[in-house]
Amino acid sequence: MLELRDFPGAGDPARLLPAQSAESAPFWNMLAQGHLMTQACSRCERARHPIAPICPHCGSAEFGWRPLRGSGSVHSWARYRRSYLPEFEPLMPYAVLCVALDDGPRMFGRLTSGTPEIGMRVQAVVECFAGGGCAIAFDG
Amino acid sequence: MGAAIAGAGGAGFHRASDSSVAALAEQAVSAALEDCGLERSDVDALLVHIGSPRGLDYDEMATLLGLDVSYALQTWSHGRFAASVIINAAMALEQGLADCALCVAAFKNSTQARIGMESHAAFFEGMREGGGPHAETPYAGLAAPIGGAALSTQRYLHRYGIEREKLGAVALAQRAAAALNPLAVLREPLSAADYASSREIVEPLRLLDCSLPVDTAVALILVRSERARTLRARPVEIRGFQGLHAGPNEFIFGAPGLGVNQADEFDWQPLGAAEPVFRRAGVTPAEIGTLHCYDGFSPQVLWTLERFGFCAPGEAADWIAGGRIELGGELPVNTSGGHLSEGHSNGWGQTLEIVRQLRGEAGERQIQGLDLGMWATTLGDAVIYGA
Repeated sequence: MLELRDFPGAGDPARLLPAQSAESAPFWNMLAQGHLMTQACSRCERARHPIAPICPHCGSAEFGWRPLRGSGSVHSWARYRRSYLPEFEPLMPYAVLCVALDDGPRMFGRLTSGTPEIGMRVQAVVECFAGGGCAIAFDG
Repeated sequence: MGAAIAGAGGAGFHRASDSSVAALAEQAVSAALEDCGLERSDVDALLVHIGSPRGLDYDEMATLLGLDVSYALQTWSHGRFAASVIINAAMALEQGLADCALCVAAFKNSTQARIGMESHAAFFEGMREGGGPHAETPYAGLAAPIGGAALSTQRYLHRYGIEREKLGAVALAQRAAAALNPLAVLREPLSAADYASSREIVEPLRLLDCSLPVDTAVALILVRSERARTLRARPVEIRGFQGLHAGPNEFIFGAPGLGVNQADEFDWQPLGAAEPVFRRAGVTPAEIGTLHCYDGFSPQVLWTLERFGFCAPGEAADWIAGGRIELGGELPVNTSGGHLSEGHSNGWGQTLEIVRQLRGEAGERQIQGLDLGMWATTLGDAVIYGA
């Protein structure tokens, strides 16, 4: 289970979340409880993200939800020196990571502190938004 | 059979124009009609690239500009559809659906907030079901197209061990070309020191790696080739084209295989002369005299060179060193200054420049003995034009 924390920025980024659907709700509901899940294809076993109705790799519609440990390596990073989102402004400059999860697909999340480097080990945490909803971020 | 650009016109590139989008569009359309000597009533197809709220939707444009057409099309309000609009016009002509196709891109960025900000029309694309078109994931702080571009650039530099400062050759080459283009917005000379001290926006990308949003309008009139040869202006023939690619391994930033966003990382090799666009035109990359490409961010130029086999994956930064993409170099690229210096026209300023170059009307920027010009993007779409 991932550590749950309050989002350290300003305001309520819940407004920045995509609209939920019957297909995506399990991912977000489980994440709010600290469980990072991925759709895993029942035929080729490949994990996929974001939520998709069929496996983009083999075409199978059959899948199961697979829990992820949340550990991974930084595949790439970008550090914001210009603020675009008021919710993230107090966190400037902040780095967004593209993380290759050890047991799943790549996911994006903010680096909670420290200096990003490609290849560095990171661990996902869940940041909870004031008005409900949550997102993953990564501890270095 | 085949199609050609018979007439071309533009309304210039402005940081902030007082004119309406319709007035800018009309300026470009009337210039294009005057260029080829056709009448407004000859136009029977209208293909619009950028619609509301930045641009003018096709129905409004036809009404306000007095165009009576039996074939209309409008594409997504992203730059990536410039070639697709022109390709569609050529196909409509070849299929006999139209005899005179008008392609228009007219829009104002000055009426919008800075791209990436919530009050910009494109902001909510970041909340699409599968993430934004440039990997925007606003709830994770990944905002604005530059975020995805920066992630790809960082990975690209790392994967191939490229020294970051080498990217500067793109901005410098295009600014040097823009200095010779009276239409370009940014014409002051740039030095490597200017580039090195340019403010970071989203690391590793700096302000001088970013395009300049402008207000503009460009119009092209396409007719079948045999008719084009009877008209006033020297026709620019469409020799070959290929469409926009999409799929799990396509991401706008990076050649395939770079592996950013959800795309797989793998050893990818360009098809080069085997790309359909080259085969259809019956030419090789080495025969292209000038390349024009989508440069919202400077590394897109490197990725386009790699995608179309002008050089091998990972080698573009070295390949462009020493003036190869400058005017006078082996392959002049974005000779009007491109989006970085002329202004971000979503590909249409570059297309006007291809027309000028192939007609021999590029003034101080004229490439001597030019036969073939090419438009291409990192998403695989391309058009080869011939004099």
